[in-house]
Amino acid sequence: MQKFFSNRKLVIFIICLIISFGLMTVSVAVRNKRSTPPVVQQFGNDIVGFADNVVATPMNGIHHGFVSIKNLLNTYEENQQLKSQVNQLTQTKVKDQILTKENKQLKRQAKVGNTLTSYSKINAAVITRTPSSWNSQIIINKGQAAGIKKNMPVIAGKGLIGTVSEVNKTNSKVVLVSNTSQNSNRFAVQIINGAGKVVNGIITSYDGTNNQITMGNVTSKAKLKKGDKVTTSGLGGVMPKGIYVGTVAKITEDDYGLAKKVYITPAANLNDIEVVSVAVRNSGVN
Amino acid sequence: MTKRIPVEVIFFVGLILMFFLDGSVSLVFSNELYAFPNAMVPYLTVLWLMLSMIFIDRSSLRIGLWAAVIGFIFDMYYTGLLGVFVFIFPLVIYLGRLIFETLPPNFFSSFLVYFIMITLVEGISCLANVVVGLVNISMTDFLVNILAPTLALNLVLFAILYFPIERLYQAFNR
Repeated sequence: MQKFFSNRKLVIFIICLIISFGLMTVSVAVRNKRSTPPVVQQFGNDIVGFADNVVATPMNGIHHGFVSIKNLLNTYEENQQLKSQVNQLTQTKVKDQILTKENKQLKRQAKVGNTLTSYSKINAAVITRTPSSWNSQIIINKGQAAGIKKNMPVIAGKGLIGTVSEVNKTNSKVVLVSNTSQNSNRFAVQIINGAGKVVNGIITSYDGTNNQITMGNVTSKAKLKKGDKVTTSGLGGVMPKGIYVGTVAKITEDDYGLAKKVYITPAANLNDIEVVSVAVRNSGVN
Repeated sequence: MTKRIPVEVIFFVGLILMFFLDGSVSLVFSNELYAFPNAMVPYLTVLWLMLSMIFIDRSSLRIGLWAAVIGFIFDMYYTGLLGVFVFIFPLVIYLGRLIFETLPPNFFSSFLVYFIMITLVEGISCLANVVVGLVNISMTDFLVNILAPTLALNLVLFAILYFPIERLYQAFNR
């Protein structure tokens, strides 16, 4: 330990510390302000991502095999449950079809182009996940070349899982909603309560102790109850309207007693993601 | 025939393989590793770097330098926050080397050094993320939910992989 604090070593140590802080500051600034990382970083990430396929493809293949077997074992029970739901679903689907058609006709008559709800999907496979406890990020195999842009919402399974945080040419990083970072995952959501009232708000943080996301500063007087469905509102940014986020878990007063704080249980399972789709809002508006 | 492969090649192939396995294992076992509220993070890259430092007795291979290179790739590809692991990986390798100057390199001393290394890697990277405002976590949560499970996982991996890697390097070091 005596050697460690000798003069030359100390100087090197301090220089390293300064460079480290410089790099961190620059990369945080770049992430917050620019839509893509510097070209050198993109290039490096593309090459590493390409090489990663050598390891990731067999690993994901094996995993897929195990999941298939597990699903096969559960099939009978699941089938019983699902049969009861199918009849209902058909009705809803037919109604949905008619309403969509009607909506399209009305839009044409009123000369309204694409609205906030219309979006198309880009499907992508998950390559790998960041080995880190707080950076809940996954890396997917589509990038700029496929038309992905920063902040686009990513859907898997039942609902929204996160947003695109960094775009390279052929791969991109997705920040999951379970990330505790202060400047990611700020998106606009809305809740429609039983009486048809709409409550708008913004996701403000992630509550680590209960695995819930919170929507703060809600001043609306509308009554919300547990189980109300939360969707994206499409206000601001590149997010379309009407992507399912989760259900209301509980409602509390905030620290000052002026506004309400709504806790939301995310709909999608964030720990079992193989394939995702990135929602791209159709142009026409904004 | 297999004896012809130089030990440096084994080191590089293993390093790259372990680097990608970190991410793949995190994804495939994410249900088990990131089961809420605990988080177990595999650090196979650090394991490989440390065991290579112990078993490769050739000074021409600058493991500290390669630790910095793999740390930079780790920052760029996995976290997107540059300047964290690029310094932590060489630092722990350097400290490990200092400790091994006084300790005999056997399984139990390596086990203890690896314990210290993982604590440092996890602690310093958390501190760096707190400083730039990317993480918002209390000390107790960090110790109980992140550090303890991560140490447990990595020490189990260490116990499993120590002897196979020793065997591997013994075969190619001659």
